[in-house]
Amino acid sequence: MSKKSFGNRILTLYIPLGIILFFLVFPFYWTFVTSIKPERELYGPTVTYWPEELTFASYAKLFGEFNFLLPMFNSLLVATITTVVTLTASTLAAYAFTRFDFKGKNIFMSLFLTNNMFPNVLLLIPLFAIMRSVNLLYTPTSLVIAYATFTIPFSVWMLTGYLKDLPSSLEEAAMIDGANRVKAFTRVVLPVLMPSIIATGVYIFIQSWNEYTFAVLFTNESTRTIPVTLKNLIGQLGVQWDLLTAGGIITIIPVCILFFFAQKKLIEGMTAGSVKG
Amino acid sequence: MKRLLFICVVALISAVLFGCTAARNSADPNANNSEDSTGSTEENNSEEGATITYWYWADNSEYSQLMQDIIKEFNETNDKGITVVGEEYPWDGGGYSETLFTAAIGGGGPDVASFKLTSTPLFTANDLLLNLDDYIANWDKKDDIDSNIYDIMKQASGTDSIYLMPWNTQVLYVYYRPSIFEEAGVEVPTTYEELLTAIEKTTMDTNGDGKTDVYGFGMRGATGGQEPWGSFIHARGGSFDDLTSEASIQGMKDFIDIYSNGYAPPTASTDGFNEIIANFKSGRTAMTIHHTGSSAEMVDTFGDDVSAFPFPAGEGQWTSMGDTENVIFESSQHKDAAFEWVAYLAAEKGQEDWTVATGNVPVSKSVQELDFFQDNEFMKASIEGMPFAGIVPIKDTTTEWISTIWPNTVAAALLGDKSAEEAMKILQEELHAE
Amino acid sequence: MKKKKFNFWPYLLISPALLIVAFVVFYPIIEAIFMSFQNYDLRRPDKISFVGFENYIEMFNDPTFWLAVKNTLIWVIFGVGLQFFFGFILELLLNQQFKGRGFVRAVSLIPWATPGVLIGLMWKWIYDGNYGVLNDILLKLHLIDAPIMFLSQTSTAFGSVIVTIIWQGIPFFAIMILAGLQGIPHEMYEAADIDGATKLQKLFRITIPTLKNVIFITIILRVIWVANSVDIIYSMTGGGPSYSTQTLSVYIFNKATVLDLGYSSGMALLLMFMLASVAIPYIRNSFKEGS
Repeated sequence: MSKKSFGNRILTLYIPLGIILFFLVFPFYWTFVTSIKPERELYGPTVTYWPEELTFASYAKLFGEFNFLLPMFNSLLVATITTVVTLTASTLAAYAFTRFDFKGKNIFMSLFLTNNMFPNVLLLIPLFAIMRSVNLLYTPTSLVIAYATFTIPFSVWMLTGYLKDLPSSLEEAAMIDGANRVKAFTRVVLPVLMPSIIATGVYIFIQSWNEYTFAVLFTNESTRTIPVTLKNLIGQLGVQWDLLTAGGIITIIPVCILFFFAQKKLIEGMTAGSVKG
Repeated sequence: MKRLLFICVVALISAVLFGCTAARNSADPNANNSEDSTGSTEENNSEEGATITYWYWADNSEYSQLMQDIIKEFNETNDKGITVVGEEYPWDGGGYSETLFTAAIGGGGPDVASFKLTSTPLFTANDLLLNLDDYIANWDKKDDIDSNIYDIMKQASGTDSIYLMPWNTQVLYVYYRPSIFEEAGVEVPTTYEELLTAIEKTTMDTNGDGKTDVYGFGMRGATGGQEPWGSFIHARGGSFDDLTSEASIQGMKDFIDIYSNGYAPPTASTDGFNEIIANFKSGRTAMTIHHTGSSAEMVDTFGDDVSAFPFPAGEGQWTSMGDTENVIFESSQHKDAAFEWVAYLAAEKGQEDWTVATGNVPVSKSVQELDFFQDNEFMKASIEGMPFAGIVPIKDTTTEWISTIWPNTVAAALLGDKSAEEAMKILQEELHAE
Repeated sequence: MKKKKFNFWPYLLISPALLIVAFVVFYPIIEAIFMSFQNYDLRRPDKISFVGFENYIEMFNDPTFWLAVKNTLIWVIFGVGLQFFFGFILELLLNQQFKGRGFVRAVSLIPWATPGVLIGLMWKWIYDGNYGVLNDILLKLHLIDAPIMFLSQTSTAFGSVIVTIIWQGIPFFAIMILAGLQGIPHEMYEAADIDGATKLQKLFRITIPTLKNVIFITIILRVIWVANSVDIIYSMTGGGPSYSTQTLSVYIFNKATVLDLGYSSGMALLLMFMLASVAIPYIRNSFKEGS
């Protein structure tokens, strides 16, 4: 296998992978290069692919004067709690949708979906009034709730899809062996479902990490999240490219590192799955 | 089994409780307005020690710092123990106003906020702003602000009342590069015709490769472009009130010709503020229209090789006056304290600190007298433009007209999809729609 | 298990999810239905009254609306279609064994992890007609001899924006399908290997059929998400030039931000109806055969 297929691998793996990766990563590279270029080089007569004059001043400024750590912490807090809340609620719901037959199932499923079809911009005014009346305005909780409302339907659907593709024979076998439903769920279904839960979790995390429209309304100076802070760098008098791109890079990297560890779990889930299967 | 059941029950109960409270409370958001925002009852009587929130946007991080410093100084120096809490919000291409509106109508807005004239009809139609007439009448520095500025504030609300506290203005003028003018052999234009000629002549192929290297005019076709565009319309004798008049259409034709003859960069149909400034700063354009807000960086880039002249007169003469005001919300519990703060920004130390550092034109006459403003050539071009400076008519349609109708219609005209007449007809109908 | 007794379990299980969603979203949607039958324009609050179907009639006579509908179709079909195509290829590649796979997986997540605030600006900067790197590359490769004004002309603006949404969505499909792949038992592939099946055969006989549900659901969710996405178009072109990049959701956004809530609610409900008519039949079918 290994000998004859090396050339083959170049054709079927490395070249297509290289092309797609180039497309995916180049804008990120360009963001990074922009963040370390002095402004005069940005609008210079020639485009430079690596700055002639390196400067990391924008990074220093972000963490020094700007206290970028606070919005990062806020974003992390909101995204983490949203992920936990959403995953719990939607795993339970998805399990119900795939393993039980009950009245109104189709209607409930459709309701979840229609929710995501409705534009956020029309939710703003009523949602703001609701948040204010329960005294949650300008707290991280308000963001968690707002985000959960659009990540839950998505996650319920996603997990329903994964669960439907998992043969239910697994847990039925376990239940015949005497395990009750809860045990069958936690011991058999959950481990096999783990990769999917992680993938869904990544989705939820990223959505909450990057959301702007609700964040600008439901936070104030002390609870600001990253996207709002970044947007503050675009005023009427133009974009502060250096700070904005530097902020962007700082935002992207933790998510990628997080995913680097999460994708290991994806593989662990795989081995767990194959053992059971 | 038990654990799972337990989790479900807890989640269920908390959600139900939460939902019910919310539903009950949200049933009548206006009724709650007075009772729960601070919980105390004697606010209006005792302004001593009042805390007010102030929303503003910052055009860059220096302005952000500057505003925080001004707030700090006000908090330390005012003798009424007032504390201002500044909350910065993104400008977001004008999205700031929608955020402010959503918060205010949802009952959670600030006490005071920085503001743009164009949003006035929306806010006053919903009774959100405090009428400042009495406050201004009793204000000792009332006369420090020119009466025509108060008149503009009244016009914007469409009433005889003032809802906006003036803060600073920006008058548009033409930036040009003396070195390029010299190379092209043109003088600073004093009439509209001369300006058109100058635009044509300064469009040059400097290295002889058959491609244009310097464009005469950095045209703004994206949102915000209606301001410089208005100068062309008025120069032909047209006006915003009748955009379909022959004179207005002729102004539009001039504007289109500049683009189609290649005197403006081909990206002009979508160029916004960033692009026109970047093009000017990189030497790609010989002239562009903006205000003092960008003068500091222009001088940074070019030193002596940048100067300014007011938009010259043709049949008519007009330039756009930009503006920033402050408003106090009707829902504020500390209106008197709030007025102290907006007055500080309008005519006291706050006015001086802000306008000197940002290069905006002060509204306070005594601040205008300062040497700083008298000696600055860009400030001079602004002040020369003052007599014929105006605003786009402020109607309830104006925001939409500026943000989507104008850019899309004018882009269609520039790209040749619509004739000047067709475009002007749309612009007229949409701006003056009842 | 088979008893006819009322089973409260499924209801209990879905209740937390349902309550959070219902509490926040249903009220606004119902309100939107009412608003769409009024000239609910907060710029003119005194004149708000019931107008019947006037908003809907206006839509049918509004050429900008129809252009937006057309644009939405193009946006969704090409946007989601190509996201899926490239995402699926990427996921098949990432599922193979090679050195540094974990790193490559993490890196390929970048577009998705990029804040929406930044995506539009960054791509606008790449496409820029004067200083853009894309024009520079094309010029250096002698593919073009004058810069292309990607976002400033009606012929190229929409295509350019669609490329951006494709870029942003590829990792979504790759990660979601990759997760689904992990649930397929190895034995199925091993059995196919013994039968001497080629890679393509394995793809079409094992991978795609087993992932059928995940694939359909990711596509449907993505269609809904892309149809509703505003930020990329808004920050790159604002819907222009000359409305050439204005999708329905951008039109709704533009109308809603100037507080013409009646008209925008009407359009939002129509958009919802269109999306539902695509999604609901699928739901019916999948549950019928499932049970």
